[in-house]
Amino acid sequence: MVPLDNYLVLSAIIFSIGVYGVLARRSAVLILMSVELMLNAVSLNFVAFAAYLDPTRITGAIFAVFVITVAAAEVGLALAIVIRLFRNRATANVDEAASLKW
Amino acid sequence: MTEVLWWFFAAIIVAASLGVVVARSVIHSAIFLIGSLAGVGAMYVFLTVDFLALVQFLIYGGAVTVLILLALMLTRADVTGIPEKLNGPQAPFAALVGAGLMAILIGVAVGTTWPGDVSGRALNVPIELISQKLFLDYGPPFVIASVLLLVALVGAIILARQEEGE
Amino acid sequence: MGAEQAWLLAAVPAGMFVVLALFGRYLPRKGDFLGVLAIGTSFVLFFFVLHNFLNAGEANWPMTRDIRWSDIGAFHLRMGIAVDQITIVMFGVVTTVALMVNIFSIGYMKGEPRYWWFFAVLQLFAASMLMLVMADNLLLLYISWELVGACSFLLIGFYWEKRSATEAAKKAFITTRVGDVGLLIGIILLHKATGTFNIQAIIEQAKAGEIGSTYLFVSMCFVFLGAMGKSAQVPFHVWLPDAMEGPTPVSALIHAATMVVAGVYLTARMLPVFEVADGMMLIITLVGLTTALVTGFIALAQTDIKKVLAYSTVGQLGFMFVALGCGRPDAAMFHLMTHAFFKALLFLGSGSVIAATHHNQEMDKLGGLWKKMPITGTTFLVGSLALAGVVPLAGFWSKDEILAGTQTWSGGWVTIVLGFAAIMTAFYTTRLFIRTFLGKPLDQHVHDHTHESPAVMTLPLIFLAILAAISGLVVFNGVGKALGFPGGFTEFVFLEEPERYHIDWALAGGSVVLAVVGIYFSSWMYWGGSLVRSTRLAEFQPRIYEMLQRKFYFDELYQGAIDRGVLGFSYIVSWFDRYVVNDTGVDGSAQMTGYSGFLLKHLQTGKVPNYAMGIALGVVVLAAAGLVVRG
Repeated sequence: MVPLDNYLVLSAIIFSIGVYGVLARRSAVLILMSVELMLNAVSLNFVAFAAYLDPTRITGAIFAVFVITVAAAEVGLALAIVIRLFRNRATANVDEAASLKW
Repeated sequence: MTEVLWWFFAAIIVAASLGVVVARSVIHSAIFLIGSLAGVGAMYVFLTVDFLALVQFLIYGGAVTVLILLALMLTRADVTGIPEKLNGPQAPFAALVGAGLMAILIGVAVGTTWPGDVSGRALNVPIELISQKLFLDYGPPFVIASVLLLVALVGAIILARQEEGE
Repeated sequence: MGAEQAWLLAAVPAGMFVVLALFGRYLPRKGDFLGVLAIGTSFVLFFFVLHNFLNAGEANWPMTRDIRWSDIGAFHLRMGIAVDQITIVMFGVVTTVALMVNIFSIGYMKGEPRYWWFFAVLQLFAASMLMLVMADNLLLLYISWELVGACSFLLIGFYWEKRSATEAAKKAFITTRVGDVGLLIGIILLHKATGTFNIQAIIEQAKAGEIGSTYLFVSMCFVFLGAMGKSAQVPFHVWLPDAMEGPTPVSALIHAATMVVAGVYLTARMLPVFEVADGMMLIITLVGLTTALVTGFIALAQTDIKKVLAYSTVGQLGFMFVALGCGRPDAAMFHLMTHAFFKALLFLGSGSVIAATHHNQEMDKLGGLWKKMPITGTTFLVGSLALAGVVPLAGFWSKDEILAGTQTWSGGWVTIVLGFAAIMTAFYTTRLFIRTFLGKPLDQHVHDHTHESPAVMTLPLIFLAILAAISGLVVFNGVGKALGFPGGFTEFVFLEEPERYHIDWALAGGSVVLAVVGIYFSSWMYWGGSLVRSTRLAEFQPRIYEMLQRKFYFDELYQGAIDRGVLGFSYIVSWFDRYVVNDTGVDGSAQMTGYSGFLLKHLQTGKVPNYAMGIALGVVVLAAAGLVVRG
């Protein structure tokens, strides 16, 4: 099988791509999708560590379970907010929500 | 043989992730997201935590992507058919930041020596272990997580419902 | 009633001060009799203390008593009293003169505002002065020193409705303050070197040579500065003539007999230490000599009777310091005692004249008062002759002792200069007497309204006149032994090597000649009430006369220096405050804050992606920095 480093590098790549997505995209939903990417990368990381370094207790995998759970709840809630935002302003672009300017 | 499969799935994941962030259409991004999540699920199989792979497919592939697609459809602004710009003004700089972060993370990951045998050997994580840990040792967090889901559910309903006259 | 209870001498007047200060204005007669009562008690107690002191025998001197005052860590302070010969002499002088002044004041201060307060402060002063002379350590001495200074301030400014009085009080306090600071520095230096404030201990350590000689010299210079300030030696003499703004009894008590001699007392007390410090004795002698000369000259040209007496006091203090500088504390204390009696007498006498002529002090308006005020005139004559040093009055004996002492300085130059000062003393004293009491009255109106003073004022004059006449005789061994002392005055006081008193006939004759010369010359000038000769002399050298009248321009010099120095310094300080502290510091930091806010507000774009970028960027930078630091 592959060494641990492979998984770590893979998760790093996905995480960075997710960061790019959060910073570069204009639509709120797209940003949320990038956040999902990041969370996934993190879970992968945890599970890899658990499987390789701690197979008797696999705490990392349990952690990943909870991450998935919370991520699902968070996405639901966040999308509800986005829908609300869309109703108020007819747009889902985060650039337009800039009232707290100096 | 398994190694080749691993590299295949790794490539899929990376390609799909890239697709999420550079696609011209939001729907395309959502499809690419499904692909990426599925790939990660496959990774879980390689790590012999089949249970997690199942959870991943079910929840992410099933629930989360459906939710996202639903939200996309409810917030379509380009009814006129003109594709609007998807990238914000700080995209180039974001690329730099992302690249920098990747460099740091990879550097740290590769450069550290991890305690234990990490060369790659036969892993075997039995599912009984997961259930044991989840329900016995981490029982309280498990219950709290269920409460959390309930709260999120109620919250989402309240936030998204339509008032009278809207 | 032993010498250990000597502190009662100070406690009684101190207690009476509190009573009078709080209740004085409600008491019958405003409590003046209570003041006399308190001082009288001290006066009586003095005799008990004296008796006990003499009985205890020489082996037991000084008699001390102290209490533990404070223990802080390694610092142990004991405060107490030490009664030795010098202290006993001071006790006698202070209680006697204070009692006379208190009685006299009942008559003199009649009808003055704040009558009760006057007596209250007199009590406080007596208490502080007595405490000063019985303190066994420098700290207690310094406290009393300051207290008497405060009383002097209060009393000089007694008529504070008059601008000149308040100015004089300030001047006195500030001038002596300069000296007091020196004294404090000296005390601290000594304490650092010896580890104690106790005077006896310091003397012993100094004599044993345990203090470095340069260090000791510097410390004693500072201490002597304090003595110079309090005793109005040149160049600190400027406050005493102005202090004449105070009521005349105050001038008699504080500025003639007691407070101003505190410097003499201090120097006498610390004389063993001064002797060890090389060069100090010469400095002391020179200071005294200069003062005697300068003030003698100034007194020649003054027309206010109190001012003449003031300058005379400073000059006689100079005589005492010369004696100390020659290593003769006995002669200095002797002159201190006789001077206290006849100078207080002269001041009270002038007070009598002032009261009788309705507060006229200028000699230009006096003259021919002898017939109208016989008692005052006679006692004044006795005092004048004593001051001039005419045998067998007290002043002759003490002045002669000082002149004898000056022979320690080889070459006799000190003797000659001091002798000249003595001639001047006789001269201006006679001038004062003649112009005030003899000849034709210069202002007829004033003359007609003059009458002799009441008994309450003349009785103290008579008593003091008797003392001025006979107190000099205690210098003889026979007289001393008859009174119960172990010997004559000088033998009694001289702490280390008592010498039998013997008369140096040549010197005695010489000082008589000096006195006579002075008197004769003065009489020639002023007799008959005619000022013709003196006016001709003044016109002969008008610039010199002006210089004398203007007191050698000391006051103008000091005022100019203070003006330039203080104002100049304050310009610098105010510039600093306005431009550095205010403009740069206060205004500057406010403007800085505002400007940085103006610049930084652009960070708040309100756009969420910008904030997210901030977070991500921060993470990357910190991670990179962490990596770099960790190598």
